[in-house]
Amino acid sequence: MSATVPRLALLEVIGRDGRVAQTLDVQRWPLTLGRSLGADVVLDDPFVAARHATLRPGDDGQLTLEVGDTVNGVREGRRVHARGSRVPVPAGGATWQIGGLTLRLRTPDEVLAPEQPLAPEPAAGPRTLLLVALALAVLALGNHWRSLDPGHEFMDWLPLVAGLPLVLGLWAGLWATVSKIFQHRFEFMPHLRLALPVALAVEALDTLLSPLAAALDWPLLWRLVTPAQIALLLWLLHRHLALVLPQARRAVATFVGAAALAGAAVAISANWRSVDRWSHPAYMSELPLPALQWRSPEPAEALAADIAPLAEQLARRVQEAQDEEPPDGGGED
Amino acid sequence: MPLIPRATARLFAALAATLGLMAGAVAQPAARPAAAASEPEATAPTAAGQRIYERIRPQLLQVRTLLRTQDSQSSVGSGFLVDEAGHLVTNYHVVSQFALRPQQHRLVYATVDGRQGALQLLAFDVVHDLALLKAVDPAPLAGRGAVPLRPAELPLPRGARIFSMGNPLDVGFAVAEGSFNGPVERSFLDTLFFGGSLSAGMSGGPALDDAGRLVGVNVAARRDGEQVSFLVPAEPVRTLIARGRGATPITAPAWDEVARQLREHEARLVKAFLAQPWRNAGHPAYRIPVPQETWMRCWGRSSPAQSRGLQFERSDCEMDSRVFVSGPLLTGYITVRHEAYDGTRIGALRFAERHSASFGNEFVGPDDRLRTAAQCRERTVLPPPLPGAATAKVEPPLPLRAVVCLRGYKKLPGLHDLMVLVATIDGRTQGVQGRLDAFGVGAASAEALVRHYLAGFGRVATPAEAAR
Repeated sequence: MSATVPRLALLEVIGRDGRVAQTLDVQRWPLTLGRSLGADVVLDDPFVAARHATLRPGDDGQLTLEVGDTVNGVREGRRVHARGSRVPVPAGGATWQIGGLTLRLRTPDEVLAPEQPLAPEPAAGPRTLLLVALALAVLALGNHWRSLDPGHEFMDWLPLVAGLPLVLGLWAGLWATVSKIFQHRFEFMPHLRLALPVALAVEALDTLLSPLAAALDWPLLWRLVTPAQIALLLWLLHRHLALVLPQARRAVATFVGAAALAGAAVAISANWRSVDRWSHPAYMSELPLPALQWRSPEPAEALAADIAPLAEQLARRVQEAQDEEPPDGGGED
Repeated sequence: MPLIPRATARLFAALAATLGLMAGAVAQPAARPAAAASEPEATAPTAAGQRIYERIRPQLLQVRTLLRTQDSQSSVGSGFLVDEAGHLVTNYHVVSQFALRPQQHRLVYATVDGRQGALQLLAFDVVHDLALLKAVDPAPLAGRGAVPLRPAELPLPRGARIFSMGNPLDVGFAVAEGSFNGPVERSFLDTLFFGGSLSAGMSGGPALDDAGRLVGVNVAARRDGEQVSFLVPAEPVRTLIARGRGATPITAPAWDEVARQLREHEARLVKAFLAQPWRNAGHPAYRIPVPQETWMRCWGRSSPAQSRGLQFERSDCEMDSRVFVSGPLLTGYITVRHEAYDGTRIGALRFAERHSASFGNEFVGPDDRLRTAAQCRERTVLPPPLPGAATAKVEPPLPLRAVVCLRGYKKLPGLHDLMVLVATIDGRTQGVQGRLDAFGVGAASAEALVRHYLAGFGRVATPAEAAR
């Protein structure tokens, strides 16, 4: 672009992925847009007319879009400007749909949107990441060792030793591929950096919190382990999506939040239907370790005394069931 | 506990109730009319069956439960006349669909000579699986005589020939000859052991001695053996006839009456169960409650010899006597199980994982049509010391993780399934898990059973502790 001719405006052709595919400096008015070679801006699209539109400032200096001899017209937002219409162009510029193309006109009067922050660089450096990976490996190997009997086959380790890296690699690779589609970057490491600590946390929650709940004789804590793991995975999903679609962070957060709420509501109501409780397990299955029993035991009588209130609770449920029952006294078959 | 799958050879399982059989109605060709109710005469044994059948023929009936709106039968069984007024006896399970849903079903009888007629249900004994019915129009059944009941003071010797009558599989009336083998051992309810074949459809038919008197009523057979069948003895039949004759016919769902009878049964059962002291399982470190085998059967199993993992020994005690209420509901019995684990070969860390996994792997039951979902309470408890001060001194306390769960019966208010799960939590590489199930018990019985079961656990003092 020559320094001597001032830039009156900038015309951008926007590709399907929302990125600018082509820019044109506008150095004089009027500017004709169309498929014919005589147009100032040649738009090679079968849905564009030979002389589709002209941009021209009026006597008062107001830039106007004149729609030419076209079948499809010019779409601006939700309105369609038909053949022959003259539309004033807003001071800051405008975006039009012409045929299959999106054109954006930027004028010197436009108000620039503030600069978007980049996704923050992860605080954890490669060394931290290595430590996390190491901790995950130790925890997973330890848990796997515990599940094997002495004298097990060497091959019994294969699912874990080969499986865990494979799954993590595929996971990060899959998200990196999605990044490639939206961001044109194969962001393998950033996605792996997100996934590794969450995998560690999910594994650690189970390994540490369950015995803690048993040691404290606190079944509620034990019941919360699985929901907490699911919440962590949802948070991970949110972070992956935010990395893939940084320009839509709010939409992503809303979507993941709504999905989480809906999922929780479905799970709780399904549990309520089948077992009359919000949480599915009937009791805490984790047994406290002999060395970690921090609540002193109660007399056995306390458990016998639990029966009467339990029976009362069930009597109400039985009454409800009888009220729901059709009056013919149906039932068995 | 089902770290280990449930006993594969469950020989003690499933008294296969002889119920439910779909087939076309069978009208037997008319035979000699009923007049031969004379005194029995001694004839050759080979002719006995023929003679008794000829005598019983007029009183023998097939009992069918039909859908109210059509003639399709939803179950068939047999029955027999017990008086001249048209009263007949069959099994409760033959007419249970009518008893529980009288709006959807109706009852009819068919005689050997092809007569048919409507029946009404007067009374039933759900625990002994008996029902008393009466023909709506007794006229066609008049003059046919009645099956006499063998007097209680006249015990039948073991090995005596008896003759079971009925209509097996709706094929046609039949005589099944077999031997009388006395009462079934270790059965809570009085049941007779009939060494003959009973098939579905014969339920409710009479089993007669060689004088044609009622010894028992066909009720069930074991499918895992040969000629192992069961009869309800004559005594409850007598009681039911006395109680039910002249009763108002049942026209509304009889759940309340079923519940009343089950409550009486469970009170008797639990009282008898609580009166028995626990046997000891003989574990070196723990006192584990095992029920007496008066009317339970215990089966044991241990880990395979080549197992390198967790070692276990398992005991499964179940009652044979179960009360049939409806197809999916068998109740009124108790089971007690335990598994003793030895984890010295796998070490403390692995043992803790197996112990928890096994404790978590227990079925307690979701909400279904007949029962509510199980609701549980869990605590870490100390069972009371053994009665007797001397023992209390030498037996150190044993902390237990214990869970009690109840499931309420939706149609039988006040009755529940009780589950008590217990796990020891003091051993680094050894432990015991126990489970008591009581089906169809009231809250008071459940409470007493929890107390009784927990008191059965304890720790056997080591020599050093005992010396102190």
